[in-house]
Amino acid sequence: MLDVEALKEKYLNYEFDRTEFEIKPEDAIKFARLCGETGDRFLDANDPNFQAPNNYVTCLKGRGIPEGFPKIGVGMDAGQAVEVLTPIKPGTPLVGKTHLHEIYTKTGRSGRMIFLVTRIEFFDDKGTHLANSDSRIVFRERGDS
Amino acid sequence: MSINSISEIEFGADLPAFEPDTSLSAGSEFADLVGWTGGRFSSHELAKKEGFPSAIIPGIMSQGYLIAMIHNWAPSAEIKKVDTIFRAPVLADEGHSITGVVTDIDEESSLVEVDLTVTNSKNETRVFGTATVYIP
Repeated sequence: MLDVEALKEKYLNYEFDRTEFEIKPEDAIKFARLCGETGDRFLDANDPNFQAPNNYVTCLKGRGIPEGFPKIGVGMDAGQAVEVLTPIKPGTPLVGKTHLHEIYTKTGRSGRMIFLVTRIEFFDDKGTHLANSDSRIVFRERGDS
Repeated sequence: MSINSISEIEFGADLPAFEPDTSLSAGSEFADLVGWTGGRFSSHELAKKEGFPSAIIPGIMSQGYLIAMIHNWAPSAEIKKVDTIFRAPVLADEGHSITGVVTDIDEESSLVEVDLTVTNSKNETRVFGTATVYIP
């Protein structure tokens, strides 16, 4: 059984990935349309308040797990959270900085599940913090872990 | 009725029902856009080979439906936070609906909390979300 406290001590809250991104206006508009947005601020690149859909950042990914992190099993997508600090204008150069934000367990009848929350913090080229995207992955712990 | 001000919102109010486009073509187009190339999003047959009942809608697209629903209800709303739990796959080409209810109102900070649920045609919950929304 994995020592979760040791994993927390070794891996939580240190940046293990830094990736640059840029959201193309046409991609932002397509994303918004497919999700059912109808407002001009999401669909019209000429709108003065044109912005990427609030959860667009959830599709921008760097490395998901730190190098050397133990293999637990097959992960499943358990949830996704996004925090919008400032709307993102498509075309803005972005930097995503990734760290493991939470590691916790839940135990049920079928055994222990381990949850990893990976957070990407997005900044513009002036260093303004724009958004956070949390991916929650759940692993069913293997007997030999 | 569209909401234009936080003073128009009542605790416990239901948001207008929203029926997202969960067609295979929409889900496949979305998956392609975000670079998710797995066959589970583009083909019922390939999804079945991966153990799904049919093709599925990407989780972040379901999250996008929840956000769009809020904007359809309150066009000037600014999403501050959305937390989404994927309880079960949203199957493509199956009808789904989204319901939402106002669970908290803070007039001082102009923030409301909304619980949102995606259900399938059997009324089974597939995705659950909570949103914190700024209403001018």
